[in-house]
Amino acid sequence: MTDTIRALLTSRSVWIALVVLTVLSTLPWVASAYILGVLTIAYYFGVFAMSWDLLFGFANEVNFGPTFLIGSGAYAAGLLNAHGVPMWVCLIAGGAAALLGGVVLAVPALRLTGPYFGLTTLVAVLLLQQFIIIFASSTGGEIGLTMNDILSTEAITNYWYALGFMTVCGAVLFTLSRSPVGLILQASGQDRIGASALGFNVVKHKLAAFCISAVFSGLAGAMMVFYLGTASVGTVVDVSVGAQVIIAAVLGGRRTIVGAAIGSIFLILAGEALRPLGQLSTFVVSGVALLVILFFVDGLMGLLLRRREEP
Amino acid sequence: MLTVQILIDGFAISALYGLGAVGFTLMFGVCGVLNLAHGATMVVAAVTAWVVAGQYAANPWVAAVAGTAAGVLTAFATYFLVVRPIQRSSSVPAAEREIFVLTGTLLWGVMIQEAVAYFYTDNPKTVRPLIAGVMQIGGVRTPINELVIAVICWAVIGLLWLLVNRSKAGKVLLAASINPRALSILGFELSRVYLLVWTIYGVLAGIAGVLLATFLGASSAQSSQLTASAFSIVVLGGLGSVYGSLLAAYAVGYLETLTAYLISPTYRTVPALVLLVLVVYVRPHGLLGRR
Amino acid sequence: MLDRSRMAVHARNGLLSAAAMACFLAGAAQADPKEPIKIGIISEESAIPGAGISKGARLAVDAINAAGGIDGRKLEIVQYDDHSQAADAVRAFQRAVSQDKVVAVIGTYISEIALALQPWAARSHVPFITTGAASNEISKHIHDDYDKNKYTFHEFMASRFIADSVCDSIKQALQPHYSIKTAVVFSEDAAWTAPLDAEYLECLPKIGVKVLDHVRFSADTGDFTPLFNKIEGQKPDVIVTGISHVGVQPTVQWAQQQVPVPMMGYSGQATSGTFWNDTNGAAAGIVTFSVAAAGAELTAKTQPFVNDYIKHFGDAPVLTGFTTYDAVFVLAEAIKRAGSTDADQLVAALEKTDYVGTVGRVQFYGRNNDFTHAMKYGPEFVTGTMLQWQNGKQVILWPRAASQTKIGFPAFTHLQRP
Repeated sequence: MTDTIRALLTSRSVWIALVVLTVLSTLPWVASAYILGVLTIAYYFGVFAMSWDLLFGFANEVNFGPTFLIGSGAYAAGLLNAHGVPMWVCLIAGGAAALLGGVVLAVPALRLTGPYFGLTTLVAVLLLQQFIIIFASSTGGEIGLTMNDILSTEAITNYWYALGFMTVCGAVLFTLSRSPVGLILQASGQDRIGASALGFNVVKHKLAAFCISAVFSGLAGAMMVFYLGTASVGTVVDVSVGAQVIIAAVLGGRRTIVGAAIGSIFLILAGEALRPLGQLSTFVVSGVALLVILFFVDGLMGLLLRRREEP
Repeated sequence: MLTVQILIDGFAISALYGLGAVGFTLMFGVCGVLNLAHGATMVVAAVTAWVVAGQYAANPWVAAVAGTAAGVLTAFATYFLVVRPIQRSSSVPAAEREIFVLTGTLLWGVMIQEAVAYFYTDNPKTVRPLIAGVMQIGGVRTPINELVIAVICWAVIGLLWLLVNRSKAGKVLLAASINPRALSILGFELSRVYLLVWTIYGVLAGIAGVLLATFLGASSAQSSQLTASAFSIVVLGGLGSVYGSLLAAYAVGYLETLTAYLISPTYRTVPALVLLVLVVYVRPHGLLGRR
Repeated sequence: MLDRSRMAVHARNGLLSAAAMACFLAGAAQADPKEPIKIGIISEESAIPGAGISKGARLAVDAINAAGGIDGRKLEIVQYDDHSQAADAVRAFQRAVSQDKVVAVIGTYISEIALALQPWAARSHVPFITTGAASNEISKHIHDDYDKNKYTFHEFMASRFIADSVCDSIKQALQPHYSIKTAVVFSEDAAWTAPLDAEYLECLPKIGVKVLDHVRFSADTGDFTPLFNKIEGQKPDVIVTGISHVGVQPTVQWAQQQVPVPMMGYSGQATSGTFWNDTNGAAAGIVTFSVAAAGAELTAKTQPFVNDYIKHFGDAPVLTGFTTYDAVFVLAEAIKRAGSTDADQLVAALEKTDYVGTVGRVQFYGRNNDFTHAMKYGPEFVTGTMLQWQNGKQVILWPRAASQTKIGFPAFTHLQRP
């Protein structure tokens, strides 16, 4: 425990995160409702990306379909709400549904490596999408599902919910990543055989990583649809959303957790700042992201933390 | 009657699926690259064929050649601008190279898709059939174009087979897919091999895109669906196995056609996806995949 | 080393705060009586019907400003592309309202997006006029919760009325010349077609057409051969369509396979002036509903608008161009009537709309009608038009066909004379 606390206090990432959080907390007094709205979405995205980064950092599994977990959580929560279930119950149900999804994904994952696992996750997203479209009469299909309840109609309240949620999730995920359990996971992710030889139950730990990633993704997905007021394939299931999650995490810096959140904020703000470009904004954002992965492989956090790396 | 109908329709669409999948799996088998800009490459070929046919009033065959050339150019662009820099980059750890290539091609695919939509909108584009008209086969009225597509697809696959099995370059390709390191030790230039593969890939994807435009039509909005479709078929057949991809293409093509005709068009994609799930759980390396 | 990274962090944070302050200050500028009135236009620029929205709006604003604006104030468009994504559209809406201070938002042709924006119009108290989405749900939500949703107006024909228009036009324009007694309904599986098909099933029997089958296909279908085969096997006289997400593909395949049954109904893509080229002529003989079209002469304003549009943009307008053009005028008149841009007063003024536009006489249904705030359907109001593609041109068949108009279907179809 004290090791973990010491690791946290001396971590530069933590200090960077604290400074950024402090600034973000002041925004409700100076920024317009529009900016707050954009950041609200960015914070939920931040949780998506951090959950993805956890799976990547721990299990060394590249999940090409994070939206399978996000979408499961979001739609489970949405469908229940459409039938009158109270919002808080729906949120918990969303997390549980995503957990189930995580277990389902973990089963083939534990037997596959590399590209095979990636493809499996992608297939999972396609399946979810087809499922939602085929049962359009219950799920709303392409039109999407309108929620009965929403978190709040006030931009500032929504902002606090999102910032608070991201901070809590980020804290938990980051602590996990730096704790002894987390380090074991990282070891088993990078050298499975070595870790098993040392006596660690690799399978159990990878499963745990999946479950944790799933719960946070699903919960964030559910929170986001309750913020937007609609759940649709285009916002929480589509492969392109998953791609954005991955880009955000890579842009921010893999295996840093904090980087994923920063990457998401940057990506979404950049997308909004480029809105006047109209049709070409996606093109430009993708182009910039491509340049980043070509030339700044360690992402934004890599740029900030570079001096600290031991050669 | 219905049986003949299903047989013919299924054959044409499976051939088209097959051509797209073969290029995709070859790229993985020899270069280890999963090109997520695959669908976008096909769309570029299709749209180029449409532009050439429309604006220069060219006949469909000329447009087809132009489209295929565009496919090859796009493949080169993907290789030189995205894949090769990542593969050669010293800042990417070796173990993560694949992931970066995947993400890079994904982003590149999005850029291509957006560029096409910007210039030509995302409305589907079609090209006049290479040979117009219908003919009767076993009492079933079939557009001649469908037969032309099946013939072209198989001819191309046949040429590919000849190339791989009978020519020297082909043997080098095969060797590269099995053990690239040994090949370079023996003095072969791997970069030339890769260039050859990307060229072949460009031709295959280009032809597939053009044929798609004459048969069903193609739009930039379909880019990711086309990639996903090739993906699923290749996973089913086994990554890296050309025979596997063909087998899987026919399995998927016929499953879809049977479902559409006999059950309902709405559930067209379901059996193929169920099959995919089963394969992923039971035999993850695909029907004919290598371990 | 420590200082470097701290500085980087400080610099970045400072920049963020400064940007936020700048935006806030910009947004806080008070409205000046001679300041332009801003209208937000949200559209899908990479889709043909979406691009029509911004073009129609542009022409309307230019016309109004050339005539002096509204009480001396000019109109200004703030344009947003939502990339056909609901989340993008919601963000654009929020930006339009809190950043760019628009008085109203017009746009989108995608029902999913219109329905996603509706609650935001309610929350922000900003009028929102959709000029391309068809779903019945839009006006149903207004009827069911008027006080909350009254800010939304549906200035496009609802699915139910589109079906009515198709039935009326088949009866008046086609049945006198051809024996149309049986049909198969053929539509994409989307929420906007559910009420459309339901109405087809009601109104077709009323005009003496028996519905033999009802085929719904997945919106991302690529291969229509099995569907056409199935339909052909039932030997209907016509295929009645409800398609918008697809259009080019089924049409091209229908022509290539020489399916002997003509297609009529609503094909959204076929209403675009580029459809002939997109299908390489396979569109020959296709009959479709459109809210308005070149040559329809629905009102005295229809053709002049078409000419103006062609002069500016090269192609004839797609249906959303007409409705958006009218919507901007409707909004301008409402602002004039209300004497203010206050949302609630604007809503009240919009409800009193009685405007003769390019699509017909625009009036909105009231609270007591199921289709609150949708456009009134009827020969005195808006009926839409029925057109057929012939030799590269859209020929109007209904409600007022030109005297020499001939109806013609491809040689491979087998429609009989009555």
